[in-house]
Amino acid sequence: MKIIRKIFDSQRRHFRPGGRLTMLAPLFNAMETFFFIPGLVTRQRPYVRDSLDLKRFMSMVLLALIPPLLFGIYNTGYQASRAGGLSLGPAAVMGRGLWIVLPLIIVSYAVGFFWELLFASVRKHEISEGFLVTGLLFPLTLPPTIPLWQAALGISFGVVIGKEIFGGTGRNIFNPALTGRAFLFFAYPAHMSGDPVWVAHLSGGGADAVTGATPLGVAALCQVGQNIQSVLSGRDVSFLKLFIGNYPGSVGGTSALCCLIGAVILIATGIASYRIIIGGVAGLLVTGWLLNHFAGPMAQPWYGLNPLYHLVMGGFAFGIVYMATDPVSAPGMDPVKWVYGFLIGVLTVLIRVFNPAYPEGVMMAILFMNLFSPLLDHVSVTMKLKKRIPNV
Amino acid sequence: MKKGLDLNVTGRPVDHVSRLMDMDCVGVSPAGIPHIKPKLHVKVDDRVKQGSLLYTDKRNPDIAFVSPGGGTIKAVDFGPRHSIRAVVIQLDKDEERQVFGTVEPQQLATISKKELTQHLMRGGIWPLIRTLPFRDIADPAVSPPAIIVNLDSLDLFQAGPALYLKGSLDTFFFGLDALNRLAPEIYLVTCHKTDLLEPELALAVTHRVSGKYPADDPGVFLYYTRASSAANRCWFIHGRDVLLLGRFLSDGVYPIERLVTVSTPDSAEHILTRSGAPISLLAPEISAKTNLRAVAGGLWRGRSVGPDDYLGLYDSAVTVLPAGNDSEFLGFLRPGVNKPSHSRAFLSVFNKTPFVPDTGRHGEERACINCGSCTGVCPVDILPQFTVKTILAGEVEESLAHGLLDCVECGLCTYVCPSKIELNSILQKAKKSYYKESAGH
Repeated sequence: MKIIRKIFDSQRRHFRPGGRLTMLAPLFNAMETFFFIPGLVTRQRPYVRDSLDLKRFMSMVLLALIPPLLFGIYNTGYQASRAGGLSLGPAAVMGRGLWIVLPLIIVSYAVGFFWELLFASVRKHEISEGFLVTGLLFPLTLPPTIPLWQAALGISFGVVIGKEIFGGTGRNIFNPALTGRAFLFFAYPAHMSGDPVWVAHLSGGGADAVTGATPLGVAALCQVGQNIQSVLSGRDVSFLKLFIGNYPGSVGGTSALCCLIGAVILIATGIASYRIIIGGVAGLLVTGWLLNHFAGPMAQPWYGLNPLYHLVMGGFAFGIVYMATDPVSAPGMDPVKWVYGFLIGVLTVLIRVFNPAYPEGVMMAILFMNLFSPLLDHVSVTMKLKKRIPNV
Repeated sequence: MKKGLDLNVTGRPVDHVSRLMDMDCVGVSPAGIPHIKPKLHVKVDDRVKQGSLLYTDKRNPDIAFVSPGGGTIKAVDFGPRHSIRAVVIQLDKDEERQVFGTVEPQQLATISKKELTQHLMRGGIWPLIRTLPFRDIADPAVSPPAIIVNLDSLDLFQAGPALYLKGSLDTFFFGLDALNRLAPEIYLVTCHKTDLLEPELALAVTHRVSGKYPADDPGVFLYYTRASSAANRCWFIHGRDVLLLGRFLSDGVYPIERLVTVSTPDSAEHILTRSGAPISLLAPEISAKTNLRAVAGGLWRGRSVGPDDYLGLYDSAVTVLPAGNDSEFLGFLRPGVNKPSHSRAFLSVFNKTPFVPDTGRHGEERACINCGSCTGVCPVDILPQFTVKTILAGEVEESLAHGLLDCVECGLCTYVCPSKIELNSILQKAKKSYYKESAGH
């Protein structure tokens, strides 16, 4: 600890105004404040301040991301091992998972950090901790087979177009990680959808025996008269399996169980809004339940799906817990957080059911509601201000 | 009141009062008085009595600020931009007192409002009466809809009414009667849990408020009780200042005694001292140690003071705090059992022992992430996260519609902000510039 302190103290002069590396001052500050909470004192009233800062705030999100991250690494390794006919020992599976996932995370952080640093240096402000979350969320939403250069392009789009052109952290309309994913989804559909992308290919082992179809992909292909639940169980995909998440899918988004653990951490620490999460789940279930009323032998098989399946299939759980609760792109007023969450749930089901081109609806649902959150806030603020007795 | 915030901190004083009346010099400073434009009427080496005019307010030259001691003007300290930092008075052994003449209880009914006002202004008592929403000294030319007298101080830590009114209840009621001549209505406000001891006082109380800090603030009280915007310009005065007013009227001289609560990390006590007492005398620790800072006027509302400063007109507490300026290795990763927080992001949620507050900022300034913590604590339902943006965008009308003038400057929004944005200062500055514009100063 003292050694680290000494390194920073001895190198600081290069980053001061007039030093050789003044341009990189945000990098130096970001690294120094990563290791040491700066001992700044208050200069304005009130002279006491809460212990919570943005670093802590964001590290709580990272903490909540650990369960889906670890499970995602395991599951990616497991699916790839199974497909490749390799041994299924936990250590080997985990190792293979790391081999596939770690490069994605490293690329995401490195490329994203480059853009953050560039904008922070030009705009002369500090690097925001929000990026630590974006840089981890983004790879977890990708298929494990994504080429690294596409991941780099995606995070670049997310950080630059999704965030920095709006003025940086706190001013972005859309969730940067999802913006990056949406870009890849539309720019490189061959690598972002379809059956082959969801299971990584490992060399060695036997023939490719298992298809990589995601449950949502399977459901979308069901013919009129089929029952999605029985088709899925015919493929050995039970509700429990969907809940736990050991099926092919995006790196970190398959496990509703891990997202539930994350949600508990985020809600218990007060970092994420329970209104958005509960609202979203309610919206999803209610819409699914309403559609059940139109189910019949001649109707689309989606109508008859048990609404609980919507909850555990695909990336909804991950999206509503980690993406929809991003405070910057969500509304700030408590009453409309319910509405925002609810509509994300509704839209997710509607996109899944009525738009077979997009088997996964949650990404579009959240981005769409991101667009509406300033409007929701405006309505809520206006209603609240009407109740005030004027004071001018 | 449902919002607000109570801090579980050390430094709660015991109900015992010690005396500290002997001192070589006292000082008077306009620093803690908002909006004032002081005009000095004395120079170094002038002789003054207790109650002699020291300076007036340029905006209303009738409002006098008087000397809390008799002796010689030793120094006039100027701060930045030639503002008066302190007028220091070297005290004589036997101090002379300016006599303003007494007002008998039976006279009170016949004395005109104008005469009473003039009397209070001459005697240096008038500035204790202030007006909402700018917390400026009351304008004697205006008739207020009501005067709010709050007895408590939820701001940490100050003496409660049971202590400062002990044995002086009659004088207090005399002061209240005098206030009644100035306004049609007096609201005597105290907290639900405050034990008033005296049944007579308990009967006189008109309103009881419940809630966390700053539930007792006159601005918060007004926000919850006003029926129309006609009440927005209420006056207010603290209970202990009503007592001073009563003393001034019945004794005819400027009252110099003040009850101050001094809290340090190690000790906390109530001290009966003089108006304008040097901070270095009340809290000798801050001159001895460099890593301590002092705040005068309460933990939340207080201003930062150094050993060269003096007790201000409205200060009833001096709090000594550790500076909190040491950096912490990988601080954001620690479980934080000892890190007090309004949030639940630290294990301190389960730690119920009082903590020692410090003046560390505990983080760097970042962009607002719209988390809504500020809105969650604002006692008058302002939405600081949005209101501050209207201010920064220069939309005055909109920020007024947001209730900018209802802001009681309690400082809670700044306290809880994880992005360490100086919300309270931004709101306060916006109020001040609106005040300047509307008053034409």
